Amino acid sequence: MAARMTLSCWGGDWGLPSLHPESLTVMAYAKFACAPLTVNTINNSWRALKGDIPVLVSEDVVISQPAKILNFLRKQKYNADYELSAKQGADTLAYIALLEEKLLPALLHTFWIEAENYCSVTKPWFASRIAFPLSLYLPGKMSREALNRILLTKGGPPLYNLTEVEAQIYRDAKECLNLLSKRLGTSQFFFGDRPTTLDAFVFGFLAPIYKVCFPRVQLQEHLKQLPNLCRFCDDILTCYFRLTVSGHSPAGQDTADANLQKLTQLVNKESNLIEKMDDNLRRSPQHPPRKLTTLKLAAGGEEGSPMSLLSP
Amino acid sequence: ISSLSIAAEPWPENAALYQQLKEEQILLSDNASSLAVQAFLQMCNLPIRVICRANAEYMSPSGKLPFIHVGNQVVSELGPIVQFVKAKGHSLSDGLDEVQKAEMKAYMELVNNMLLTAELYLQWCDDVTVEEITHPRYGSPYPWPLNRILSYQKQWEVKRKMKAIGWAGKTLEQVLEDVDQCCHALSQRLGTQPYFFNKQPTELDALVFGHLFTILTTQLITDELSEKVKNYSNLTAFCRRIEQQYFEGHEKESSTIAGRSAKKSLLR
Repeated sequence: MAARMTLSCWGGDWGLPSLHPESLTVMAYAKFACAPLTVNTINNSWRALKGDIPVLVSEDVVISQPAKILNFLRKQKYNADYELSAKQGADTLAYIALLEEKLLPALLHTFWIEAENYCSVTKPWFASRIAFPLSLYLPGKMSREALNRILLTKGGPPLYNLTEVEAQIYRDAKECLNLLSKRLGTSQFFFGDRPTTLDAFVFGFLAPIYKVCFPRVQLQEHLKQLPNLCRFCDDILTCYFRLTVSGHSPAGQDTADANLQKLTQLVNKESNLIEKMDDNLRRSPQHPPRKLTTLKLAAGGEEGSPMSLLSP
Repeated sequence: ISSLSIAAEPWPENAALYQQLKEEQILLSDNASSLAVQAFLQMCNLPIRVICRANAEYMSPSGKLPFIHVGNQVVSELGPIVQFVKAKGHSLSDGLDEVQKAEMKAYMELVNNMLLTAELYLQWCDDVTVEEITHPRYGSPYPWPLNRILSYQKQWEVKRKMKAIGWAGKTLEQVLEDVDQCCHALSQRLGTQPYFFNKQPTELDALVFGHLFTILTTQLITDELSEKVKNYSNLTAFCRRIEQQYFEGHEKESSTIAGRSAKKSLLR
């Protein structure tokens, strides 16, 4: 296929080509199907932020959700599922549904709602890649959308507050990881020794949990106890993404970004500590549920202070 | 409620399942869920009476239907009911190995993710269906203006959820395509076997039966939804088989798929 295809998506860190599960899924699938994709990571530009990320542009066609992008690639004859039987294709659909229902809420929670993770890692990382002044607004919006999604799909009676919902979604996620591990067993990929769509989706969801260094890591600790899943992620990273990570120009940018980000993390940690000490002196200690209510109700109130120390 | 106390009591004779009023009020998605639970209990050989109440939704501990009242416990939705029944010592999926159990759970999520969401979309987000079927049915036990208020409130809730999971932007054609994709996957998985895990039915069979049978026998504005299911002959045969084996001979489920009798028709 001669048409040029460009993919706009979030960039990566910690050895991953992207931090964003959906972007990672598309990139992995493109590698598996040998589709010639030019990847543009979003970095301080205004352009690609209108719609959902990731976005594939090919001539005049603009496609935005991972499932649709994969369909498009298949129609262009980049099909990683060529050798699958019909039943295996059906299994793919079922396992993807399982991932979205059981694992995605906990993933969103770890990234966007868990207060320490959000403030010290997620927000500075994303804010540093978005142009000012959108960087003040967009991470908060993504966090609110994640919270909304979790509460609407998993909240409601008989779970009456966020802590109970959190407990339930982490239980579901751990169970999902166990199921995936059992299904993978000792084989290299989910359907034999060639990676397929399901491998792309599982990799997209698991790799961020596995690699990103968060302060609160209960899901990562659980994942590390399932060695076949860790091996699965590492295999894909070394076999399919080695070139991008080591010598390509985005990697150079990535190191600079990584340095900037470590500095911002340090500054944010300090400011968080100072805030905590102040609050301890003044009144009851700040603990996650209170902070979360603040996030929900007064959007932008407590996000203001760490942001002022950040240089995008 | 410790599982010890649940296990201690045997299944009582007067166990009851609550749902909305069958003729006038119940909607497609709730009917499907209720039928799934009834099928599951039939498969476990546990007797259950179906009781219809206009305020069943408010009686339910989670706000979702159906719920069962067993002894002095109330449990709602298929997932928790399966756990509850398992604690009492009855299970359909004990014979499966770990990988099969994982598959079963994955397929159940697929049905919930695609079929149930598509049913909810059709009945609350498709304007024609909402006006002609859903609003009149949902509020039918209540006087004006309460009936309109309640159904607008519910519609708003469902639309919020659709927006959060990304379905709000879908058109009806896309939703029907998703249903087709789901049915295709189920049909492929079922193949020529009598049940999804060969000889014995499991909760997955109950869930799939509940949804497909309801879709096939419910009259909506158009037949597009049921046509999607009818394209797969092994699925319709599957529904007929389960209906004959577990529901024939009970007066409450005497309609068949071939003849859409007034009992199963949900159109006013």
